[in-house]
Amino acid sequence: MELTDADLIARILVDDDQHAFGELVRRHQSSVRGLLRQLTRSDLALADDLAQEAFLRAYKNIRRFRGEARFSTWLYRIAYNCFREDARRRKELVGVDEARWQSEMDPQTVDAGLRHDLMHALSLLPLHERSAVLLCCQNGLSHDEAARVLDIPLGTVKTNVLRGREKLKRTLAAWGSN
Amino acid sequence: MDNLNEDDALDRRLRDAAPYIDDDGFSGRVLRQLPASSRARSPIRAMILIGMTLLASFLTYFLFDGGNLVNQVIARLAGLPMLWLLLLTFCTGIVASSLGLIAAISKTRQSAT
Repeated sequence: MELTDADLIARILVDDDQHAFGELVRRHQSSVRGLLRQLTRSDLALADDLAQEAFLRAYKNIRRFRGEARFSTWLYRIAYNCFREDARRRKELVGVDEARWQSEMDPQTVDAGLRHDLMHALSLLPLHERSAVLLCCQNGLSHDEAARVLDIPLGTVKTNVLRGREKLKRTLAAWGSN
Repeated sequence: MDNLNEDDALDRRLRDAAPYIDDDGFSGRVLRQLPASSRARSPIRAMILIGMTLLASFLTYFLFDGGNLVNQVIARLAGLPMLWLLLLTFCTGIVASSLGLIAAISKTRQSAT
């Protein structure tokens, strides 16, 4: 029988079992790395560095995990914080996204190979909308869980998901009509 | 209704567009960076504690006339009035309980952080 995340966490807490933590990393590495790849706009090396940092922080702070949320939600929050701190260091967090999205919305400027590419359309969204869409629509988190991960009010998450979806649809429709 | 269906279709496409990422050594790299397990540290810690205890015992034995001091202390304690003995036992109990409580609180705080 496969152990649950809670069983593995209990083993880490009681026995400091690093093999149990390794199993948790194997289970969640794909979704965490995938999320970070989207947040970093496919900067694979940076995404993997941040994912590594996120898992290390998770291990060091595992005693703070109270089990009120899913382990994956807690992990996403750590990963998102790692990304945000890194983005702040790189001074890329705000201001650039919206302008870039506006300019690339013009179907004429889009590379033909990238048309119909949903992930590319997603990468054009501003960070706050992209994060909300990624967590809720792609990773299946509830609005409430996404609000916890992003540390923003529930209403803001709903608005960001709504706007993000609308922009995605418009972008895909614009690319499709050419 | 159409809008809901469109949203569902978009979510499905988003989920399908996110491929499973192969581990490709990632977990191994994370595990190699973890701090040493307390399990790995504990034998060394135990050996140090046992060594220090043995050393302290030998020093006490030889410095205090081959354990003669212990005999003297026991003889003195036996000569004390019953009330004094009870008081001494009570105070020792209080001190030991307080130390245990302090250790427990400190351990709880350590676990919480």
